[in-house]
Amino acid sequence: MFCDEVLDAVERIAAGEETPDRRAADHLATCRQCAAALADARAIDVLLRARPAPRVPAQFTSRTMARVRGDRWRRERVLDAGFNLALGLILFGLASVVWMLLNGSGLASVGDDAVAVFRTAGVALARRVAPALPLYAGAALLLGGALAFWWWAERDAAA
Amino acid sequence: MEAGHERELVERCRRGDETAFQALVERYKDLVFALIARTVLDRSRAEDLAQDVFLRVHRGLPYFRGEARLSTWIYRIVANVCLQERSRPAVSIRQTPLDSPGAQVASASIDRRFAELELRDRVEKAIARLPARARLLIAAHYLEGVRYEELADALALPLGTVKTQLFRAKQQLRRILETELS
Repeated sequence: MFCDEVLDAVERIAAGEETPDRRAADHLATCRQCAAALADARAIDVLLRARPAPRVPAQFTSRTMARVRGDRWRRERVLDAGFNLALGLILFGLASVVWMLLNGSGLASVGDDAVAVFRTAGVALARRVAPALPLYAGAALLLGGALAFWWWAERDAAA
Repeated sequence: MEAGHERELVERCRRGDETAFQALVERYKDLVFALIARTVLDRSRAEDLAQDVFLRVHRGLPYFRGEARLSTWIYRIVANVCLQERSRPAVSIRQTPLDSPGAQVASASIDRRFAELELRDRVEKAIARLPARARLLIAAHYLEGVRYEELADALALPLGTVKTQLFRAKQQLRRILETELS
């Protein structure tokens, strides 16, 4: 029974955390099993203290910092995407509200009439401009050619 | 590290100062890596896990309120990372009794240095057979610079419990070695 008590305290005694009282000390002096356990515990303690600390691999800091940067970049991207999505949803919501208000107030039908007026005007303008389109295209080509020739000449002069 | 200097470093890290975070990594990398390398059984994972610890530190710094010491908070992260690491030992314990004839011949011929290395190897293998928490406790206790109080804070355990668990771990280790050596 006393062996159990001493064996329970062996690690504390070996580590110097506990001093054996007289009874335990007498027991350790006479009991070979407990004395051997204490000697083992002391030897293990010495070995554990002498364990060499594992060395940090070379470039550990730079590799860690690279991972930290990558992680921060990913998190920022997720944040940006979330922000853009939220902004898009807000704009969509606002547009929906405006549309519902216009519909409710009858302004949407006025808007339809306005669109029809602009469409008619646009078609009329296109019809008037269409016959002169080759002329405009020729003038644009001439101007583009002149600018290209000027750029080419300037480049040669600079060289 | 002084408390004032530590606070200043944390504040700089929070403001996104990369140099400050690099200084923090430099300050704690030895302890973090040593703790992990001694606790996880797959040594090749140790560097990845040590980097994970610093990633978690970086992510968590904005929420670090400074109630505990920075080192304690980092040890807590190390403990979580080590205990979450599920890899099991790929280590096979060589069951060669010392009193076998072969061993006796060998021990007579090998030099003291080799015997010491062999004993150290046996201790390492015996440690590998301990549960993760016991390994962590032993690793932390025998590393210079880690105190019982910080361990207790990091593991959210009373100081007495940490001491008891550590002694039990050492008792377990002694029994494993005794069984192996007998």
